[in-house]
Amino acid sequence: MNVHDKYKPLSWWDKTYIPLVIDGLAVTLRHFFRNIRLHILNVIGIKTKERGAVTYQYPEEMRPLWPRTRTLHRLMRREDGSPRCVACMMCETACPARCIYIVAEERPEVQIEKQPKIFNIDLGKCVFCGYCVEACPEDAIRMDTGIIDIASYTRNGMLLTKEQLLNIEPKVENYVSRPDLMEGQPIY
Amino acid sequence: MPTITIDGKQLTVDEGKTVIQAAEEAGIYIPRYCYHPGLRIVGQCRICLVEIEKMPKLQVACYTRVQDGMVVHVNSEKAKRARQQVLEFLLVNHPIDCPVCDQAGECYLQEYYMQFGLYDPKMVEDKNKKHKAVPVGPHVVLDSERCILCTRCVRFCDEISKTSELGVFHRGDHAELLPYPGRTLDNPYSANVVDICPVGALTERDFRFKVRVWYLDETKSVCPGCATGCNIEIHTSKARPYKNEGRRIARLKPRYNPDVNDYWICDYGRYGFLFVDDDSRIEQPLVKQNGEFQELSWDDALQMVSGVINTALENGKAVRILGSAQMTNEDLYALKRFGNEVLETHDIPVTVKPLEKPYSDDFLIREDKNPNTRGAALLGFDTEPAATEKLLTACRNGEVYTLIIFHHDLFKGFAEDEVKAALDKVDSVIFVGSNLNPTAELASYVLPSCTWAEKDGTFTNYAGRVQKINEAIEPLEGSLPEWKILRRLARQFDHTFAYFEAEDVFRDIVKKVPAFTGMSYRALGDRGMLVSENGRSVQQAEVKEELTVVSK
Amino acid sequence: MQALAEAAGKFVFFIGLIVLNIAAILTWVERKQSAVMQDRIGANRATIFGIRMLGMFHMLADMLKLFTKEFFIPMGARRFVYLLAPMISLLFALVGFAAIPFGDTLILGGREIPLQIANVNIGILYIFAVLGMAVYGVVLGAWASNNNYALLGGLRASAQMLSYEVAIGVSLVGVIMVYQTVDLMEIARAQGQLLWGWLPQWGILLQPLGFLIFMTAGIAETKRIPFDAPEGESEIVGYFIEYSGMGFGMYFLTDFLETILIASLTVTFFLGGFQVPYLYADGFHFPWGQAILLPNIAVAALQFLSFLIKLIVLLFIMMAIRWTLPRFRYDQIMHLGWKILLPASLINILITAVVLTIIG
Repeated sequence: MNVHDKYKPLSWWDKTYIPLVIDGLAVTLRHFFRNIRLHILNVIGIKTKERGAVTYQYPEEMRPLWPRTRTLHRLMRREDGSPRCVACMMCETACPARCIYIVAEERPEVQIEKQPKIFNIDLGKCVFCGYCVEACPEDAIRMDTGIIDIASYTRNGMLLTKEQLLNIEPKVENYVSRPDLMEGQPIY
Repeated sequence: MPTITIDGKQLTVDEGKTVIQAAEEAGIYIPRYCYHPGLRIVGQCRICLVEIEKMPKLQVACYTRVQDGMVVHVNSEKAKRARQQVLEFLLVNHPIDCPVCDQAGECYLQEYYMQFGLYDPKMVEDKNKKHKAVPVGPHVVLDSERCILCTRCVRFCDEISKTSELGVFHRGDHAELLPYPGRTLDNPYSANVVDICPVGALTERDFRFKVRVWYLDETKSVCPGCATGCNIEIHTSKARPYKNEGRRIARLKPRYNPDVNDYWICDYGRYGFLFVDDDSRIEQPLVKQNGEFQELSWDDALQMVSGVINTALENGKAVRILGSAQMTNEDLYALKRFGNEVLETHDIPVTVKPLEKPYSDDFLIREDKNPNTRGAALLGFDTEPAATEKLLTACRNGEVYTLIIFHHDLFKGFAEDEVKAALDKVDSVIFVGSNLNPTAELASYVLPSCTWAEKDGTFTNYAGRVQKINEAIEPLEGSLPEWKILRRLARQFDHTFAYFEAEDVFRDIVKKVPAFTGMSYRALGDRGMLVSENGRSVQQAEVKEELTVVSK
Repeated sequence: MQALAEAAGKFVFFIGLIVLNIAAILTWVERKQSAVMQDRIGANRATIFGIRMLGMFHMLADMLKLFTKEFFIPMGARRFVYLLAPMISLLFALVGFAAIPFGDTLILGGREIPLQIANVNIGILYIFAVLGMAVYGVVLGAWASNNNYALLGGLRASAQMLSYEVAIGVSLVGVIMVYQTVDLMEIARAQGQLLWGWLPQWGILLQPLGFLIFMTAGIAETKRIPFDAPEGESEIVGYFIEYSGMGFGMYFLTDFLETILIASLTVTFFLGGFQVPYLYADGFHFPWGQAILLPNIAVAALQFLSFLIKLIVLLFIMMAIRWTLPRFRYDQIMHLGWKILLPASLINILITAVVLTIIG
């Protein structure tokens, strides 16, 4: 149906729903028979250009992450190993889910003055919007670890502390630079 | 009376005013750093440059007197460009460390840069290093790099506190704000320099790194620290309770009231709020059993207390009250009714004279540390310290069966054995107050009341100015305003005080007490009203809202 | 005694072996067909010794899960009715199959066995009764759950099922008029006759409008998408919201059984039942005179196979509709039932009557 016809009143014939039901069935059945043909061809060993399903079998098969995909947070360190964060609370202010908890303290080094005493992220609340990364003036927080399997049996397990965030090992290999140019990967 | 034109607006102003003041009257805001209405004018910062017709160069608006026929352009291209360049000069040596600066959010450098800065900076040289994070006094920390040398603080120390601790040293771009050698900024008004500092050079030590200012809520109130009744704003951090070590009140700021405190407040008052979130706060009614306090519910507590009082009344024994001038007019009025109608005692003392004479001066700090002594006197309480001494003597002689003490710590006003001897003779002592103190420890029953920041009400200052306080934070769980405690207690004796809010009590006061005639919460406004001797109170003109809109 | 054994045999064969297995397979079909339609793979994680069988073992896993889960009775529920309701539901879904003819007569050891569990000569009325009783299981379960959402679902279900039963009933009047009988076996047999000497006299050809109405109303009767307002997963969850374990399992099974029942009724009324074109009791007799003679047992097998194939095709179409259309709004359901299907079925009767009168 044309988009512009959307607001036209339905005709008597349309009101019986029959033509639209047939339209819809045509679409779904077209997909059904196309996919079932591809599946059968695959089963009997004929390789086809297209696949019958777009599914990635996740735990075994990882979908490549786009470079911009936001994954688990991490806190960055300075060259001397101390956290880059100066506890300016910009991320805490920007966070729409209020999942960041920062308490500041005095830093012995007088040129920087301030550092976080507590820096907690409650992943149970986090919505992965990435505003904290945008807001950070020090590039101290990033969401580029490539870790997406975040789960815990307890609520406390979802609360990451400053030390945990500083020590996260990024899995950069989960990212691809240009997935659209990778061979053999379906593009949807 | 010269007539001038500012940005097309024509107006007549008083002789001797400067352009910045005239513009303010016309509702036009001219940016300023060094100009402060409470201080001498020096024309130091040059950010207020305006174009005045027939003058060859731009003039500083704060220092130029108005003359008849003057035509001023605040927002002409030339003036705007000048402002931008002045701002660039001010930022030449500024470290721009806003993320760690406590002033961020209320900083005039940020504000003006967002309004008319946002230029492409030409400065490429290295910035000068100066002193950072110097604790210059008990309450103030100095960061010389952030200073723009407006000298507001220097003038404050010279003119208002008259102690002259601060000065500007060195020359050129090495010029630096520092205390004079060997001096510390420890005058009783020192923290005011934090308020007047337009940038983050002077910040508070108590507030340092606790809460970002944009998390704070503001409530208008009155300082309860002494009889002056300085107008304040209570800044609270309610949304993020994990900040500020769990304290709900983050800081107090003075509020402009030309009739009381102008722009200032003393350090005693500014840091006198710590008791609100102190560990000594009483959270539930307590009863002493075998020398230990046990928590119990309000219903049980009121029943027990009323039982004690009832026994005394039925046996014809004396039940006496020691009120407190820390209570609001509303609380005191409810107390008076409770005393008169339920206990039938008419002389209720409220004042305990402290053993050591407290600090006072002739500016804001008064000797009487109670905010409402005048109000208590007007409501018919005995404010003479002698009355309290008489009450204690009566206790010592065994004439008092039950004593209800509000807030007071008797050990601060009397010798230790004197108090103990008196309270031992009293069968049961009932303490009503917000925090536990040594006197409360001796009581058999303790009822928690809430602090001044947690309730509505009015204080009457030494000059008879009735001023409104507002609820800034919710009462601590289990605590109630005194008038509510008294209302519920009176209910136990079948006396109904038909009050549902503090305002109901105040209406009653206005009706019954001549000194308060004509007042209402609405009429009190932000500046309060004077009580009157002849039954007519004087209303003050409303304060004009301070202009904050920065012209583009 | 022999009649009883005969009926028991037919019951075990048709309901136990065919219907229930199709119902179980339908749960798998529902997942896999939708997956293929939507470019997905579908459930395939349940394995036995690493064998996946296209996810077939999910049926077993589900069954195991439903049987071992706690049957929870909520606080304030009517215990007796709460337990009874899913059984009523399942019972009436099953007994409907008793009247379905799945073949003509089978001669076994000299006995003529009609391939129909119970030969009810008022079959259509029996079917109406069974469909009418089905609503009780739903409404009682909803009411006994002591849950607002369940009750809402039950109310919707009762209104919807009663409304569409009217359309079902009236649409079948045309069939009765054409074939002059209410016996399902007779209707199926009548469809074996030829029109003009070459066209099988199937209901879909004689009653195309009736077929459409019956299919639509039948899908509505099963309370499945697009008529799943009583369930409304995304809004009220439905009349079985409180049921867990096998209580839910019975409702779940009822859902599929009703689908099969409606499909087999449609086959019986409109798709010639067990009829294969030109196949008679003694073999094929084609209109051009050729004939292939077959033994009775082969004829019965062919007839049963034809019934099964028609049933499966119809089930496939019903599943496709279920995965194609979105849910109707409740007012649209009522609008369709009362303002379109009912008048259309009345017009169908009128047309049928006029045509029959003209033909004589």
